[in-house]
Amino acid sequence: MIPISLARIFEQFPDRRYIMFGGKGGLGKTTFSAATAYYLAKRGHRVLIFSVDPQASLTDIFQRDIFGKGPTEIIPNLYAQEIDADKRVREYQEEIRQKIRDMYGMDTIPEEIESYIQAAAAEPAMEESAIFDQVVDIVVQGGYDYYVYDLVPLGHALYYLSMASVYDAWIGKITGLRQQMREYDQVAAVIKREKELDEDAILNELLYIKDRINKSSKILTDKKMTAFFFVITPEEMVIKDTVKAAELFSKFDVPLSGYIINRLIPQELKHQAIPDYLKNRLAMQEHYLKVISSTFGDQILAAVPEMERDVTGLPMIERMARVMFGEF
Amino acid sequence: MSKEEKKKGGFFQAVKEFVYGVAAHDSARFALKTRASMEHLFILITMGDMLGVPILPPYYSLRLLPYVVPQISTWKRRMLREKDLTDALA
Amino acid sequence: MNSVVVLVLGLAVAYFGYRLYAKRIDRRVIQSDPRKATPAKMYMDGVEFMPTSRNILFGYQFKSIAGAGPILGPIIALQWGWLPALVWILLGTLFIGWVQDYASAMVAMRKDGASMGGLSHKLISPRARMILLAFIYFYLLLIAGAFGNVVVSTAIGLKGSPMAWLFLTGAGLLAGQMIYRWRKDIILTTVVTVVLALIGIWVGTVAPSDKIIGAGLANERWLWAIAAFVFCYFAAVLPIWRFALPINYVAAYVVFLGLFFGLIGVVILHPDFTLPAYSSFTIKIGPIWPIMFVTVACGAISGWHSLVSSSGTARQLENEQDALPVGGGVMFVEMLLALFALIIAGTLYASPAQYGEAIAKGPGGVFAAGVSKFLGAVGLPADVGRSYGSVMMIFLAITIMQLVIRFMRIATSELLSDISPVFRNAHVGTFIASLLGIFLVMTGWWQYLWILFGGANQLMASMALMIITAWLMSEGRPASWSLWPTVFMFVTTVAALLYTSYNLLDKVFKGAVKGEAAAGNAVIGIIGFFLVLASFVLAYEGLKAFGRYRAMKVQPAGAQA
Repeated sequence: MIPISLARIFEQFPDRRYIMFGGKGGLGKTTFSAATAYYLAKRGHRVLIFSVDPQASLTDIFQRDIFGKGPTEIIPNLYAQEIDADKRVREYQEEIRQKIRDMYGMDTIPEEIESYIQAAAAEPAMEESAIFDQVVDIVVQGGYDYYVYDLVPLGHALYYLSMASVYDAWIGKITGLRQQMREYDQVAAVIKREKELDEDAILNELLYIKDRINKSSKILTDKKMTAFFFVITPEEMVIKDTVKAAELFSKFDVPLSGYIINRLIPQELKHQAIPDYLKNRLAMQEHYLKVISSTFGDQILAAVPEMERDVTGLPMIERMARVMFGEF
Repeated sequence: MSKEEKKKGGFFQAVKEFVYGVAAHDSARFALKTRASMEHLFILITMGDMLGVPILPPYYSLRLLPYVVPQISTWKRRMLREKDLTDALA
Repeated sequence: MNSVVVLVLGLAVAYFGYRLYAKRIDRRVIQSDPRKATPAKMYMDGVEFMPTSRNILFGYQFKSIAGAGPILGPIIALQWGWLPALVWILLGTLFIGWVQDYASAMVAMRKDGASMGGLSHKLISPRARMILLAFIYFYLLLIAGAFGNVVVSTAIGLKGSPMAWLFLTGAGLLAGQMIYRWRKDIILTTVVTVVLALIGIWVGTVAPSDKIIGAGLANERWLWAIAAFVFCYFAAVLPIWRFALPINYVAAYVVFLGLFFGLIGVVILHPDFTLPAYSSFTIKIGPIWPIMFVTVACGAISGWHSLVSSSGTARQLENEQDALPVGGGVMFVEMLLALFALIIAGTLYASPAQYGEAIAKGPGGVFAAGVSKFLGAVGLPADVGRSYGSVMMIFLAITIMQLVIRFMRIATSELLSDISPVFRNAHVGTFIASLLGIFLVMTGWWQYLWILFGGANQLMASMALMIITAWLMSEGRPASWSLWPTVFMFVTTVAALLYTSYNLLDKVFKGAVKGEAAAGNAVIGIIGFFLVLASFVLAYEGLKAFGRYRAMKVQPAGAQA
């Protein structure tokens, strides 16, 4: 049996405050996130669990409608939040419009500008980058000891990470361009003997954006602050995909804290009278557990059996937490 | 008296502007010219979705939009303007 | 005749010409409208379209058109005597010069800020544009050759000039650093660098080139030709703020201070003309008509101005009514500059023989001697004055050469990059232009180069006037005031180019010239014929366009009947 060493990770590295579970879709990441948040809250830490998945499922697991309502207290010290990306984008569009109206004293937004605002919001990347930005907001605001991310499926997470470095490089270039422009402005001012120039508001915006994107990619890649766990199940495809994903993650410098096995068929069943179907499954599971232990070795932090019912509602979450972390 | 003074000031101002035109206008113009062509490059990069080249996350490029509202129409005009080799003569 | 009489005559022509003729055309025929949005305002992009005040543009236009042309043209034209040159300068400016400068700006403004290429396309035909571009390329090459020659003969004739040239270049580079890198106060920068350039002028007198590099090397034409084109090469290839602009900035002060005090010197000394008013109808380089007309060059009429007016000024005028003082007014000032040059050379030498001896060494030396004399009137020692005049001459020529080479580089990449991407490389285009320029300088006799340049320059003017006439016709406005200048300039310049090119090629065929001179003669002659040929095609296209516009004008009347 695999030892339960997940709790030890949290004790050994108290600085790791951004907790993330990754893995293929449908392996139980949300369940683990909720259970971990529950565990940490019970240990007396202030915890925020939030969903960055456009198809947020925290509402389901806590059985409370928290969608788009900001941080909501579930039990003392445990707060949950689901970001309503659509709403955020709409608000944001209006903020931009208001800013334009204020800056230029306009009553109506010029047509080509309005069509641009509409078109930008219709971009598929808009929602993701809005969420991305919200995450930074949440983390930057602070106020919690732990932040548990209910991560988007692997592909998206990687997309975020890869884009973060691309964006960062781009903004670096654009900022450089802007700074060069400013130099020419200054030169013209020198030749014309004009006074000091106004600050370049765009340059400041760019520096702000650069800072935001840096922060968000840092949250995902900070070795000190981040604990990233992979969820796996003893199945061939899952193991193979996870190995690949782990390689990719390490390429983007995401610090891996370890692996958690989910959906184990309880070993005790083996000694009972069970149908052939289950027997076969158990034999397969044994085989793949060996593969897992030879592949990931002591990076396996916990093994969680399949529950007899859905993990929803606080009692089930508590049960799950005890399975993951032992008694607390 | 004051009228005469004003006239005198006007004359000196004119001479000053003339000297500036002779010596410095080209340099200042070029600096601004370089700056403005960079500005157009900037708009192309940040607002490029208008031409179908998204480079920044749209969420952030929208943030920059308010600042380039006045430039967008001249930028579009400039993109659409026919250029001629002889433009480069002066 | 006394030189002050000439100046007064010039002022009178300028005053009455501007008041009674130019203003009337502007108000009645063109109907300039101060309320109309100019392209500078309408298309303000901060790049090419930038509304700028009239006074600044007046200075800008003046600096852009006051090169070596208006100064050397009259000095060379004195070979026929001062009277023909004087008459042509006054009448040329009055009836042709300002018309072209002003109307080029006006038509460009009314046609959405298009430059000559775009205007020829819109108003004449698409083919006209391509031919005009090829025409402009070789016309500019002739500028590079003729002006390069002036730089070389000045550097050899006045041994103090290379040091002064070097100092001014250094002062310019320093100005570039101070303005663009260190962002020092512009007044400090100006004072420091201009003083440094002035010190260089003095240093030139104590450290002449033959003492430093030996008389043999100091008299080598190829050395100074290469120096001039390397200078232009840097100007064309380096970032413009690092080299071309700041050097021009410092040079502008040196040149215009010299002109300003020189003019004061003329008023103080107000000498009589010592050279004859008239020598003979035909001299070695040709007859008064057409050769003297093209020799006088920019002081009467210059195609270069049409390029400055349309590509530069027209995009900056903030008020339509500014086109008259800026486009037209500056031409009258340029006329005065030409008269100034006529005076300083025409009153300098005791006899035509002395003048002949001096001009044989190149016109730059004559100019420098004149500057020395008249700056002497305000207290400058003669040798410093000569050094001053020589560096003025070099920079009056080389600032235009820089622009020309730079443009030829851009033209090469634009016109030839379809043939091979190699031509897109900035160095390739610059190298080709510089090599062609050096070839002309090294192989051509300067007087012929000058005539070819003058002819091409005024033929360019005729092309610009043709475009202006086409525009006037297309709008149904009275056009005779630009049509007759077009015809006169076309006939005169074609005659001058044919006469000179024929002579050049004739010498080659008859074996009168050998070696490099034969090669130079042949190339210059062929360029001359090419320009004439191109202008005939353009004139043909122009006539077709005139016909179109005339038919357009008749049609509505017919439809009504």
